Amino acid sequence: MSRTAKILSSLFILFWVLTAFVPALIAPADPLAINPSQAFQAPSGAHIFGTDESGRDVFTRVIHGAGDSLYIGLAATALGMGLALVLGTAAALAPRWLDEVILRVLEALYSVPSLLMALLIIAFTGPGVGPAIVAVGLSTAPGYARLVRSQIRTLKNSEMLEAATVLGRGTWLKVRNHLVPNALQPLLALVTLGIGQAVIWAAALSFLGLGTPPPAPEWGAMLSAGRTYLHLAWWLSFFPGLAIVVVAAGATLIGRALGGKVKAL
Amino acid sequence: MKLLAWLGRKVGGALVVLWLVATAIFIGVRLIPGDPAEAIMGGPGSQASAEALANARSEYGLDLPIISQYFLFLAKLIRLDFGTSYSFKDPVLQIMGEVLPPTINLALMALVVAWLLALLFALLAMRANKVGQLLGNAVEIVAAAVPHFWLGAVLIMLFSSMLGWLPAVANGTPAGLVLPVLTLALPLAGFLTQLMRDSLNTAMGSQFALAARARGESRLTVFRRHGLRHAALPALGLTGWAFSSLLSGAVVVEAIFARPGLGRSLLSAVLARDIPMVTGIALFSALVYIVVMALTEAIERLIDPAGAES
Amino acid sequence: MRRNQRTTRLLTGALALPLAAALIAGCSTTNDPAASKDAEPVAGGTLVYASGDAEPSCLDPHVGGNYPQALVASQFMESLFTKDAEGKIIPWLAEKTEVSTDGLTRTITLRDGITFHDGTKLTSEAIKANIEHLQDPNTASSTGYLAVGKVDQIKLVDELTAELKLSAPDNALLESLSMPWTAIQSPKGLKRDQAANCAAPAGTGPFKVESWDRQQAVNLVRYEDYVSPAATPERASTASYLEGITWRFIPEAASRYAALQSGEVDVIDNPQPDTISTAADNGLGHLDAPRPGASNRLELNSSKAPFDDVRVREAFMHAVDVNSGINSLYFNTAKRSYSLLSSVEPLGISDESKFTTDATKANELLDAAGWTQRDSEGYRVKDGKRLTLKFPVSTNQSVPAEQSLFEQMQAAAKPVGFEVKIELLDLSSWYGALAKHEYDLVSAPYTKVGPSVLRILFHSDSTVPAPSGYFANNAQVKDPKLDQLLVDAEQTNDEAERAELYKQAQQIVLDGYYVMPLYDQQNHFLYSKNVHGMDETTAVSSPIYYNVFLDK
Repeated sequence: MSRTAKILSSLFILFWVLTAFVPALIAPADPLAINPSQAFQAPSGAHIFGTDESGRDVFTRVIHGAGDSLYIGLAATALGMGLALVLGTAAALAPRWLDEVILRVLEALYSVPSLLMALLIIAFTGPGVGPAIVAVGLSTAPGYARLVRSQIRTLKNSEMLEAATVLGRGTWLKVRNHLVPNALQPLLALVTLGIGQAVIWAAALSFLGLGTPPPAPEWGAMLSAGRTYLHLAWWLSFFPGLAIVVVAAGATLIGRALGGKVKAL
Repeated sequence: MKLLAWLGRKVGGALVVLWLVATAIFIGVRLIPGDPAEAIMGGPGSQASAEALANARSEYGLDLPIISQYFLFLAKLIRLDFGTSYSFKDPVLQIMGEVLPPTINLALMALVVAWLLALLFALLAMRANKVGQLLGNAVEIVAAAVPHFWLGAVLIMLFSSMLGWLPAVANGTPAGLVLPVLTLALPLAGFLTQLMRDSLNTAMGSQFALAARARGESRLTVFRRHGLRHAALPALGLTGWAFSSLLSGAVVVEAIFARPGLGRSLLSAVLARDIPMVTGIALFSALVYIVVMALTEAIERLIDPAGAES
Repeated sequence: MRRNQRTTRLLTGALALPLAAALIAGCSTTNDPAASKDAEPVAGGTLVYASGDAEPSCLDPHVGGNYPQALVASQFMESLFTKDAEGKIIPWLAEKTEVSTDGLTRTITLRDGITFHDGTKLTSEAIKANIEHLQDPNTASSTGYLAVGKVDQIKLVDELTAELKLSAPDNALLESLSMPWTAIQSPKGLKRDQAANCAAPAGTGPFKVESWDRQQAVNLVRYEDYVSPAATPERASTASYLEGITWRFIPEAASRYAALQSGEVDVIDNPQPDTISTAADNGLGHLDAPRPGASNRLELNSSKAPFDDVRVREAFMHAVDVNSGINSLYFNTAKRSYSLLSSVEPLGISDESKFTTDATKANELLDAAGWTQRDSEGYRVKDGKRLTLKFPVSTNQSVPAEQSLFEQMQAAAKPVGFEVKIELLDLSSWYGALAKHEYDLVSAPYTKVGPSVLRILFHSDSTVPAPSGYFANNAQVKDPKLDQLLVDAEQTNDEAERAELYKQAQQIVLDGYYVMPLYDQQNHFLYSKNVHGMDETTAVSSPIYYNVFLDK
């Protein structure tokens, strides 16, 4: 990654972390404060992203929504990755038959498309933030797990490990000191790419009315509420959509940059 | 013989995957708190009559020990008996026959369009200067990051409400397909272009291509003869994944454009907690995925017999 | 207000249609940009209708019985009675009816010469078969079932006359029999299994069900042998002008409206308020047909804390600001209601004084009720418990504007110290939450013809859950005096006494602050300018397309 790219990526990440944790720093107003007489104001100096059907400031809501939207995306990715590390490592190190079993399980997970899997889980649990996280997490796990497995398998036979074995270290240490860090790097690239997609899927669930309930300013939920007024107030759905695109595109760029680094190794 | 063995492995693998999906669903239904009969009939709010509950209980053998229930469930699936959707009031298999073709159709068309767009883009990118390259890069990344539900709404607003060029809802005519297909295809085309350009750059920079250029072949010929194949293979390997993401996108697109199909049925089945229907859709979409994977693998073997073996 | 052209033709049978149409335009709330005065009826063409409701799982409105079913079934099924322009019940498939002096025997005589779509002749046997179908638990009727609850036995007097023996006098029976949920279908058709009858019920209406492509459309075609019970001499043929109706389901409001704008569909229901308000400017017609029965309102669950205290209920009424929300969200398409009943119900009474926005008064009432502490978030607390109101909202029943209105109430109630917890639920979970009593506030619209809806909504019997778990008295009003009034009101045969009893009953409910009325149950339709004659509705305000025609 070039120096400029590093600085830009860091700034990008810093911006969203700040937005997610201290939104008031950027948008001090209350995202839930209503003012019916100010409803449907087009973007202007007073409301740079305009106001929504209850007179709430869309800019404030988009900024305050970052927390919820990114939280779902990150939590889902973390869940998927956690599961992937367990399954992938187990598959790579386990005897052949267990490897085969895990691979089949992964394939089964993979065979049901993400959003369909999410809907399937919601059919059992009912809608909500928790099920949305589990659903998106589960559906991303197999992709990560396959990479973890192949990374570890490549490394298992590598010189480093042989050296470690010669030195007589225990299996656990082998895993901890050599396998995990080396498998992590390319995973990081994939995860960064994945976060963008997870944010989109989570927003899709909210859009279908199965994720974060209103009036919370989650981007998918805002978009869903805003599309109702598409003919009257385009800004209601444009700006939350823009936020999703910016995050997903940014994550893709950083992931690709990281991926390039991985290849260089 | 080799083909037969390959086919055998595929079918065996497919059955195992389907069995796993079915088992997961079986466990899922039993994990719902409360009466499983009620869950099958649509949850506590469905207001199922006592008689209907009793019917469900005997049909699914819910008074039997859990292990017998499981085998009964599998036995029904093997006989292709998915039960009756209580919200559609028709056998699940029959509904599948109605809703699967439009969704597969839509997904296939979107896949083809995405491929064409990606190829076109990759070609353009080859001829572009530095600024063009950068612009192309930006467009493809943004395209890949656009949520379907947003794109669909914007396309409708632009092309139906404002310009009046294309129908807003799928009406069975070819024109009615344009917007839904574009909505699905654009983000995918963004992904595919990124992938193709990476491999294309590698391929065009390879010894092979450089040698060909040295022999005096034009850039385009080299691209056609060598580059394209190398660019297409990794993207082809993604087809299974792409198709799967198209099926996901179809849920949203079918809702926005009022198209009948798997996604819309699943959404309404989930809202109605129609478990037989949900089970059927999950198994069928898994089956679709398996078939698509097998097909792409077969195509990969045709294009690059050596590569597919590994 | 006059919305029922069918009745206009009854009253002005000899008038030429253009004149009749002009009459309607004068007093209905239709707004037809293509000035109906110069529109000559043309036969032909298929109308494309796009509904925003969920696709019914059964086209027979006896099964279940909700409004989306009534909308489509109004085209192919007809009722024994209907409502005229003044809101009076008049015979439709029935020719005449009379009731015995004790009120326990209702005799109904049918019109002669009417045939069902399947060729069966309409006879008294059909009355018996239909009422029994509604009462059969296997039918799983909820709306129609309640409507014919007092019918004990049915005796066939002759080919066209049936005698209904009632368990108690029921002056609402004719109103009940005017609803699409009790519409008459072919006894032969009812003998089929339920799936077959759900797919294509055989009624007597001007259109018949030709096919139903799930998730695409219900295809209705002209019933050539249709005989209108209110036939007009100037119509050469008694069949409808339209050759058919394609009844589509487009759940996305923006897509539905875009389809109307681009001419893909001719009529849409459930339009967004902002698109209604700009309809005339965009060359679209608008039909406003508020549903009868109850107004759209919030019910306050009085059976448990905190709403078991009337002061807390009253405080809530004054804490929220409904009017400014309605103004901004509904663009003047909905009028604030202060009545338990729809504005189309002549016996409804209004009491605006109970619903003023007055935060000071709300605060005083809550202080008096002992909710004096405030927690760190500013919500009131009593005995360590926060003043929380659970508010499950059905996304199927509350349109986006209404959901926004509830969000505004939530925001307005906060400074006073109420924590309103809105939960958006699918229909199944929503029923589940009600059945488990997990609600303090709820909006559950109920459509029925006539003021007897009050008994369904506020009699203590309605707090007892049906075997399915559903109960209609969501406010949990249990008042013996009110019960008596509601029972008496249904049994009297004196119209003035009936009005007085219902007035007293409504006052009790209003005085108890059990209900916060919002507006009429909204029922708007937008149509393109090539559609004419959109002003005829059934007794429950669902449009009928018998007299509708399209420009060539």
